[in-house]
Amino acid sequence: MSAPLPASAPASRAPGAALIFKNAAISALVALVLFSLMIGVRTEAGPDGQLTYWTRFGELATVVALVFGGSIIVELLRQWWGPASETKIIPPSVQNGLAVAGRWIGPVLLVFAILIPVIFYNERYLLDLSILVLTYVMLGWGLNVVVGLAGLLDLGYVAFYAVGAYSYALLATNFGLSFWICLPLAGILAAFCGVLLGFPVLRLRGDYLAIVTLAFGEIIRLVLINWQSLTGGPNGVTGIPRPTLFGIPLTPADDGLAALLRIEFSPTHRIVFLFYLILALALITNWVTIRLRRLPIGRAWEALREDEVACRALGINTTTTKLTAFATGAMFGGFAGAFFATRQGFISPESFTFHESALVLAIVVLGGMGSQLGVVLAAIAMIGGFELFRGLDQYRMLVFGLAMVLLMIWRPRGLIGHRAPTVFLEKNQAISSDLVKEGHG
Amino acid sequence: MSATSATPLLAIRGLRAAYGKIEALKGVDLDIKPGEIVALIGANGAGKSTLMMTIFGRPRAKSGQIEFDGRDITGVPTHEIARLRIAQSPEGRRIFPRMSVAENLQMGADATDCSESDRAAGLERVFTLFPRLKERIAQRGGTLSGGEQQMLAIGRALMSRPRLLMLDEPSLGLAPLIARQIFDAIRTLNRQDGLTVLIVEQNANHALKLAHRGYVMVNGLITLSGTGSELLQRPEIRAAYLEGGRHG
Repeated sequence: MSAPLPASAPASRAPGAALIFKNAAISALVALVLFSLMIGVRTEAGPDGQLTYWTRFGELATVVALVFGGSIIVELLRQWWGPASETKIIPPSVQNGLAVAGRWIGPVLLVFAILIPVIFYNERYLLDLSILVLTYVMLGWGLNVVVGLAGLLDLGYVAFYAVGAYSYALLATNFGLSFWICLPLAGILAAFCGVLLGFPVLRLRGDYLAIVTLAFGEIIRLVLINWQSLTGGPNGVTGIPRPTLFGIPLTPADDGLAALLRIEFSPTHRIVFLFYLILALALITNWVTIRLRRLPIGRAWEALREDEVACRALGINTTTTKLTAFATGAMFGGFAGAFFATRQGFISPESFTFHESALVLAIVVLGGMGSQLGVVLAAIAMIGGFELFRGLDQYRMLVFGLAMVLLMIWRPRGLIGHRAPTVFLEKNQAISSDLVKEGHG
Repeated sequence: MSATSATPLLAIRGLRAAYGKIEALKGVDLDIKPGEIVALIGANGAGKSTLMMTIFGRPRAKSGQIEFDGRDITGVPTHEIARLRIAQSPEGRRIFPRMSVAENLQMGADATDCSESDRAAGLERVFTLFPRLKERIAQRGGTLSGGEQQMLAIGRALMSRPRLLMLDEPSLGLAPLIARQIFDAIRTLNRQDGLTVLIVEQNANHALKLAHRGYVMVNGLITLSGTGSELLQRPEIRAAYLEGGRHG
């Protein structure tokens, strides 16, 4: 490894100005060739159907100038950061500070999350947004088992979310079962679907696995749309019962919680209740995942991600290991789905498109595969960011895509690329990041 | 050691295996007695690694028989073979690069029903054998040097307290000094723990000096066998594997 760049002289090894200009000129030339037809010439069908065209050299010049300037800026930025792959962008002192912050950020976030309904009691919008973020945190944690730990790329995770949601919706509306009975049932049914998906894809890996799981997600959605008699088709299921606090409804009625506690009824009570419900569900997901990672089964998931052949040679039954990974991930997706159904009161296949799978996967990848805290940060950034840029309207996807590309350039292993070891000899040793980088030796 | 009179721990009879239509093993007979180090040498593509993999059921034997400790294991699923306490350090080491050294070692014991004390004893044994691993305990496997990775692969295999240890090219890509350390460790394991070892090697000189007996494999068949020192004296072995190139 080469020595890190001294922070005081960042440009010491940098290519000269001439080279930067040369590169920028080449980029500009490529842009000129590309855009001369795309932007420089505008064609349209005239009133009589003949082709009319006119030139827009002004715009073309602007674009080329932008590319030229942008390329110089990118190059300068790159020099300022130092080579991304080799050196530490952040000086060691700051890194140590971050490590300390990293140890505290989890507990601090947890305390903050518990206090959210207290602090923002009157801000309905913020409460709703936090519930949404927490739902995605839970989905992210669930998918993390499959993608982050077991390394099975699942593009159809929304299927399990849908199965959970419809399980609760149909059981509750048709049989009048309560939320607390349906919740485990939704999880079991989703896990069952996970095993169902798992069997045909046992031999697949990587791209092939991704395609089949993608198809599985679509199959579930199409079944939901077309099985009109059971699912109500595109009209969805309405009138899904709200959850109760172990049988006590959160309504203004005489037997409601407010009346029982002799406090004034407020619709916010239900929101607060939903908030703590999803917080509890998410924390259970997290706790179970952390526990599993320390058990042989969790270790086997990770080993499976690393090397399937070696796993078999060590006597790991790869079939059951994969199936349990699928089932565990799917079960959490099912729980989240049941929560989604009871929160919305109405579900339809529209809520379970590929877009959702992609979003959850993006959260897992951005967070750093396998990192629990990373998923939280990524979910806050993704869902919160989405809301933050609502004013930007149609440009927010653009901003978002750009942010993701930049993040993947600078932090290719996600926000939290560090993987916490699960086995310790005596105590948890702090290991310098020099030692945990891959690809040496 | 009365290795000659004992019944074999592993007995292979007329073993055939193929990848599709290409036959890699064409009727192999091989015996390993308890407490023995057996070396299997041969050129690239002779079928040495295939033989090791076939003992593990991948690829499955087309015909013939593999017997371990008197039990026919020819059709036993791969993951259950490991549970009979046959361990292997596969070709190319295949450690888990993103997992720590400690986790890699634990993986070796996970599939067998090891008690906590067995695990602790296993770790202790591995660390006395390879003190380097103890220094690297919390590091990622992928950050180790080649030699350390080989130590880790052997250590991982040892964690299941194997009765038979199979090593596929343990000296591959290692500096001679490190390779010697690895071979010394294998000898120690055999002498002190009485561990039975099958070692597949291209480094015939090292392997035959280490082994009690050796087999030479050519094109999927065993062509020669004998004690290590016998084989080392054979002119055709010297020509083909030890002074290769000088006679070409």
